[in-house]
This record gives sequence, structure tokens and C-alpha cells, in this order.
Amino acid sequence: MNHRGDTMTDDGGSPAPLLAGRGLVKAHGRTPALRGASIALGAGEILAVTGPSGSGKSTLLHLLAGIVRPDEGSVTYAGQRLDRLPEQRLTELRRTDFGVVFQFGQLIPELTAVDNVGLPLLLAGASRAEARRRAGEWLERFGVRGQEELRPGELSGGQAQRVALARALVTGPEVVFADEPTGALDSLAGEQVMTALARTAREAGTAVLLITHDAQVAAYADREVRLSDGLVLPAEVAA
Amino acid sequence: MTRRAPGGAMAAEARLAWRLGRGADRREWWRAALTAAGAASATGIAQTAVALGSLRGQYHVSVGGGLLDRPGERAGVVLTLLLLLVPVLGFLGQCARVGAVHRDRRLAGLRLAGATPAQVRRIAALETGPACLLGSLLATAASAMVLPRLWSAPAPAGWAGLALVALAVPVLGTAVAVLALRRLVASPLGWVRRVRPRGGRGARYAGGLLLVLLSVLAAVCGARGRLPLAVCALVVAVGAGTVWLAGGTARLAGRLVARRARTAAALIAAERLRDDPWAAARTHAAVLLVTVVGTGFVGVRQALLADLHRMRRDHRLGMPMAFYTTGIALAGAAVLVALAITLCGLAVGTAESLADRRRSLAAQIAAGVPRAVLGRALLLETALPLLPAVVLAGAGGMAIGTWYAALTGPGVVVPYAALLVPVLVYGCCLAAAATALPLLRRSARPAELRYA
Repeated sequence: MNHRGDTMTDDGGSPAPLLAGRGLVKAHGRTPALRGASIALGAGEILAVTGPSGSGKSTLLHLLAGIVRPDEGSVTYAGQRLDRLPEQRLTELRRTDFGVVFQFGQLIPELTAVDNVGLPLLLAGASRAEARRRAGEWLERFGVRGQEELRPGELSGGQAQRVALARALVTGPEVVFADEPTGALDSLAGEQVMTALARTAREAGTAVLLITHDAQVAAYADREVRLSDGLVLPAEVAA
Repeated sequence: MTRRAPGGAMAAEARLAWRLGRGADRREWWRAALTAAGAASATGIAQTAVALGSLRGQYHVSVGGGLLDRPGERAGVVLTLLLLLVPVLGFLGQCARVGAVHRDRRLAGLRLAGATPAQVRRIAALETGPACLLGSLLATAASAMVLPRLWSAPAPAGWAGLALVALAVPVLGTAVAVLALRRLVASPLGWVRRVRPRGGRGARYAGGLLLVLLSVLAAVCGARGRLPLAVCALVVAVGAGTVWLAGGTARLAGRLVARRARTAAALIAAERLRDDPWAAARTHAAVLLVTVVGTGFVGVRQALLADLHRMRRDHRLGMPMAFYTTGIALAGAAVLVALAITLCGLAVGTAESLADRRRSLAAQIAAGVPRAVLGRALLLETALPLLPAVVLAGAGGMAIGTWYAALTGPGVVVPYAALLVPVLVYGCCLAAAATALPLLRRSARPAELRYA
């Protein structure tokens, strides 16, 4: 499914957001993580969600990416309610329309870099040779050339994260969800990863929801929203 | 800084191990329960073998239909029990490894808090030892109640043997847990890595020499007519060889399939095998041994029954036919028990492998990899290396059966019925691995992504 360029408009002709969460409530056991947060992401927009630890940033990402269902509220992607889709459809959507990058752990340790990047293509039905060829191209774009046959454990943290970015972007997703993508990296490696992510997303018109507590990382975004105690702060308060 | 007395330090470590156990999650209690069950089984089987082994000459034992009365048959039963110990000890070792990744992290945390490597090893031992001791004590209590009723006037040596087994099993279980940590490097900075075992040329030569010696022993014993010992030596030789081959075939299967994989499931499974073929080989070692013994048993049984029928026709049978068939049936039951224990170990191992990787699996699912693909990969991790290895083990068992038939019968008769054993074992193994699949849904939850 590809919705690029065909986002609907709602009241007054203003472009409807590609992805929106409204009144999101989620608790982990008895601990509330989100208490009615609302957020919207436009097509091709890079949005940073910042806030202190425990403010509900990662939970918000999980809800918007359809990884977890909200206790209350709704998540809408390209006009369809994600929170009402069956699990199988959500899995398919995450594979085709979304890309996810976590702090670490998303690469399969036993697969080489090129096979890790090619995995979503293989799952989508591409041949192994085609998946490897396209994965190789993406690795080159992210400056991981010559490391294609190395496993994640043999790569540096920055290289592994760029491989993860390549894997998230290889299917040409509409939205990339990045949860503290530079959290485990030094400042130089973090800068390389963010530069690569922002440049590629802008070139491809991919929207990015970026979770971070780092102001330098948030500076790569077009817009920033701040989360506190499970609520999105109004812009004037956040500022 | 005051230095604590060694006894005080040990007590503090025991208290810490107890607190760690109390604060642990359900998985840790499963590990303790399974370890205790494995230790109880090992103790029970070993104590029965010791009790029977301590009997001298003709003796009346009230169970076994007279099979345990004469020294010759008794030796056969003791041998069977000792062979049964192999899968039981494998199961015990597998249980001791449950939760290894989390234990590794906990131990790294202890190192970060200032514990020395020796203290970490002692705490790990104290975590496993009590579970083994509990299982061993329960089995010993059962033996102490049951055996004197079956066994009039037990000899002091027999009682000493039972006590020795009761102590040896917990010591062995604890040693396994500590040995499992020998390749673990927990740095004072709190990171953990496992050092890959590197089989040196010396280890390969020693293994080869052992195989040659066992084969020579089998040939010599066979030539001298000491068939039970010859069969035993051959079973161990074939079993050891197959275990060694399991790693090689797993690596080869991984390489071949990884190169040609067209699906994500096959690629993930093959690369996992290629990355660490010995992990699969370790888990499958008992499966192969049971396949060798089971296939060999069916072949030997066929030849033995044919021989017994010939002897009955010629009026050369020393005992009623039922005496021999009961013995054969008991041996068959022992093989089935060994298979059941092995399958339990395989199911535990597969579930453990899944639980260890649950964060990575949760991340794959979050990234859109369907659970079905990960489930198929998990099954293929068992299916791919086991297929060539079970075929080889089955061939080894068939060789034993055919060789025995040639020794006892008028000519070479191939026991084709034994060919069913590897097929059945393979099917059972896949079913055992599949029992872990429901865990995939429960373990690889998105909640795992909340923790680093």
C-alpha cells in the first residue's frame, strides 16, 4: 500500500495528517504511560517527540506504529483506524508502509548486514538475488560499503545502526519510527546516523517519527512536540 | 576494610543466592523445578543400578518376573539402567541451562557490584545446587522406602552406594552449572560475552582415538563371544561418532541452505545453524544416541527373537520363553523412556532458545516479520541439522542390528523394521520442537521492547 501524495484533506482544505493519534490512553499494569495524548504526523514530515524518561515516548511510538493497541483513543493512518485492524493486517502494514529503528536489537545477529537489510524484501516476495542486490544499494547509500557480509556483532555501533536504517527504508515506507536511534552511540556516530536518516527521508518524502531525549538529535526534525507525564504539552508550554 | 572469614563469606553468598532466587521470575522457578525433576530421575535410576549391582550370585528379587534373580540377567538390567542415565543426565544439563542468558546478565550485574569471578561461580553453583539436592533427597527417600521391601537383607556396601549416589548427583549437577559458565566472561564493567569453544587439533585426535578404541573393544568382545559388552561398546562408539558428526552436519546443512535459501524462514534458520552449529549439536546429542540405541535395539530384538524361537524348536531354551520376552520388553520400555526424556530435553531446549531471544524476536515482529515466519524458522532450526544426523544415527543402529543378526543367525538378515525408528524419532523431535511455538506469541511481546 502506498499513499504518498494522496493524503486526504479535512476541514477547510488543510491537509489531513498521514498518521494521527487522538486521546491515546495506555497503562502498563497499574502504571499509566499515556493519559490522553494526541499527535499528528504529516506526509514527509520529520517530527521529534521529546520528553524526560518515563514520559511515555516509547509507548506513544508503539501505539502509532500499531505494535501495541491503545486502552482508549484512536490511531488513524491514511484514513484507516489502525487500532481496529487485525494483527495479521497490522504486521503486513508494518512490513510494507512502516519502518522501525530501535536503539538496538532489531537486527538478527546471525544474518549478515546485506541479508538483514534484504529480509523485508524477501518477506515481500522478492527473490534472494534481487533482495541482496537492492540491500547492497541501500547499504552503499548509508556508507556501509564493504561490510555487507559482516554480521551485526562484527560492526561498530554506528555501522549497525546505519544497517538498521537501511533495513527500515529498503521497502520505501511511508513512515519511519525511530526510537532513540542514537541512544547507544557516541556523538560522532550519532551525527552520522541522523544525517543519513534525515537526508534519505527528505529525498524519499518519508515521514519520520523520532523519539529522543537529545536536543541535538531533535534539531534534525521539522517540528518538535514535548511529552510530559503521558500528555503532549501545548506548543507554547513546550517552548 | 575488614576481611570476612571464608565461612562467613560463603554464608553471605548463600544468602545472596537465596535472595536472587526469591526475587526471580517464574522462569527461574521452572528451572529449579525441572532441575529437581532431572536430579530425582538421575538419582532414582543410579540408585536402582547400584542396588542391583551390589547383589552377588543367585538372589530372590520380588519384582521383574525372575529377571533380576540371576547375575547374568541382572548385569544386563544394570547396563540398561546405566545407558538410561545418559539421556537423563542430558536432560539435567539442559534444565541447568534454562534461563542462562538472564543468569548471565545477573552475574554481570554482580561483577559490576564488585563480585570476583570466583564469587560469581560460587553463587551460580549455589543457585543450582539446592534444586539438585532437593531432587536427589526426594529420590533417595523413595529408594529408602521401596528398596528394602524388594531386597531382603541389603548389604552395607549397597547402602553406601545409595548414599554415594545421593551425594554425587547434586555435586554433578552443580558442576555442570559451573562448567556452563567457563566460557562466560563477565567483566567488572557489567558486560557479558560468551567465548566460543575452539576444538583444537588435540581434542579432535583424542576423539578419533576414543572412537578407534571403542571400535576395537567391540570387535574383540564380539570375537570372544561377550556380546552384551560388544554391543555396548559399539553403541557408545556409534553414539559418540554421531554426536561429533551432528555438529559437522549442522554446519554443512547451515552452509548449504543459507546459500540457496529463498525464503526468510529458511535463511534465518540456516544462518543460525552456520553461526553456531554446536549449539544445535549439543541439544541433539541425546536424540542421536536414542536413535542409535532404538534402531539397534529393534534390529537386535528381531534377531534375538528369531534365535530364541530356533532354540525353543531345538529344545535348547534354559528358561521359559516369557522370561526372555519380558526382558526384551523391559529393554524396549527403557528405550521409550529414554526417548521421552530426550524429547522433554529437546522441548525445554527449544523453549529456552526462544525465551533467550525474545527481545530480538519482539523487535522482528514489531518490524513486520510475521510470527509464522519466525515459527517456521524455529522449527527449521531443529529440522535441518537433525535430518542428516538422524539418518546417520539410524544407519549406525541398523549396522548394529545387522551385525548382531549375522553373529547369531544363519546368515545376514537386514532388520528392515528398524528403519521406522529414525523416521519416528525425527517426527517426534519436530513435534517436541513445535510445543515451543505457543511460547513465541507469549514471549515475543511488544512489552519486551520497553527494556534495553
